[in-house]
Amino acid sequence: MSLKKQDEMDHNAWLKRQDLTVIETAFLTTLIWLDKRLRIVDYLELLETMYYRANLQMPKSHTEQYDLDNKFWYWYPLYSLGSLSIVAYLVAAVSGALLGFYYSPSTAGMAAQGDPTAAYDSVVEIMQDVQFGFMLRSIHRWSAQFMVAAVFLHMLRVYFTGSYKEPREVNWILGIVLIGLTLLFGFSGYVLPWKQLSFWAAQIGVEMALATPLVGEWVAQLLFGGFTLGQATLVRMYILHVFVLPFVVTALIALHVGIVWVQGIAEPH
Amino acid sequence: MTDDNHATTDSPGDAERALTDGGTDEEARTDGGPPATVPPDDETPTWSERKEHTQGLSQLTYQYFERSRREDEDLRAESTYVERDVLGFPTWPHETIRNLAISSFFIGVMLLVSALLPPHFGAPANPGSTPAIILPDWYLYWSFGLLHLDPINPELAVLGGDKVMSDELYGLVTHGVIFGFIGLVPFLNKGSARRPVEEPLWAAIGVSGVIFSVTIGILAIQNLVPIELDLLLNLVFLLPVLGAIVTYAVLKTMREGYMYDLNRRYYMLRPPK
Repeated sequence: MSLKKQDEMDHNAWLKRQDLTVIETAFLTTLIWLDKRLRIVDYLELLETMYYRANLQMPKSHTEQYDLDNKFWYWYPLYSLGSLSIVAYLVAAVSGALLGFYYSPSTAGMAAQGDPTAAYDSVVEIMQDVQFGFMLRSIHRWSAQFMVAAVFLHMLRVYFTGSYKEPREVNWILGIVLIGLTLLFGFSGYVLPWKQLSFWAAQIGVEMALATPLVGEWVAQLLFGGFTLGQATLVRMYILHVFVLPFVVTALIALHVGIVWVQGIAEPH
Repeated sequence: MTDDNHATTDSPGDAERALTDGGTDEEARTDGGPPATVPPDDETPTWSERKEHTQGLSQLTYQYFERSRREDEDLRAESTYVERDVLGFPTWPHETIRNLAISSFFIGVMLLVSALLPPHFGAPANPGSTPAIILPDWYLYWSFGLLHLDPINPELAVLGGDKVMSDELYGLVTHGVIFGFIGLVPFLNKGSARRPVEEPLWAAIGVSGVIFSVTIGILAIQNLVPIELDLLLNLVFLLPVLGAIVTYAVLKTMREGYMYDLNRRYYMLRPPK
């Protein structure tokens, strides 16, 4: 027996004692290396819990439990509108990120009135030169339309089935905020190509902002970067569309769904 | 560490200020000055101290939580509900596959539509020439229509026929009124009723709202609609009311029908003597 201090947790010796294949050795070595630095053991336990959670059963819904499917099946599409708007939001996010590689938010190049700007040209380039670009823009636009439509119909479903009632007021109001933000999303995206209709839609936006008492001019400065439309407007709409709104809307959607999770779905009866 | 503390308290003449861990703040004295403030770890309240929450809002919060917990326990004790095994479908594969199927169907529809109906792309922006038709996307027609309500912006005779607010502000205020009303709905309508049949009035209000969102959108494109403005404005407000009346009548009738069926079944099961 040697006097040398023995390392109880000599993982490498333990590795050698085992008769392992190359793949197993490589896996374990990486795992041990990472675990010594990051203590992933703790997180692995969390993962294990998640694994068992995933094997749990979802409780049967009211209609499933009382075998009412034959009565209510035609209501179900209405009950999937909320998740449909999330799916459309995700598709819009992916296609929008791809469009962002080619789009440039700039009004440069407008020598005379009515000349195409850099922003307009970049959208034309996406549609004509970029491989798959036309389809990409089409997908982005249509997924936005689908999202707005699904959100509106979702609100109608919630209204007509009385799902907004007593314990769920907060989520109803949160939903109103989300509808407003969705519309703002659509509006800011509508301005970005800087075509004729975008410009005049933004013009109406500025006029509305300026008509507001007390805070009007401040709002116009903040959202549109001034009282006349130009480069500042375009950049602000761009930042709103690709940076501010995505974070805010994603967080609020998570909260919205989280509250549904906690409170339970208001089911038909 | 605690040993050190006790060693210092042994010496006589100490400022006997007992701390939560049994020491004093003697050793925290600075050169020449008054006793320094107690180190933060000594200030940390013990668990029992924390639990007491003896003052202010934290006390009220604590008291309320205690009450609600007791209420919960009482309700649970009274309840006859027996917890059974969860009746349900497994998350994997049943629920997951169903959700994947729904999602991919929906994504497929979106891709199909975007392949079949490519978006239009208009002329570049020209600040110099106002187009004949200014329109936002369809989902903002209702909002744009509200901005076209200036013919009914009231004029006050007191102000010599002047309008109280500008037409633009009037349009904004209508937005506020609509959003405000929608936000108030859950505070006005309570109770356990779920189906439209159970509450014909609220269903009628909803239907009139839906119709109004369409008619006000038509007002937004008034220069494309071959109807005179006066008539159009009347229609914008009359059609929703008409829709509400029809909905109310239909739902009331349906309710009578439901009640009739229920009563008939009841009396078939328990015939009157």
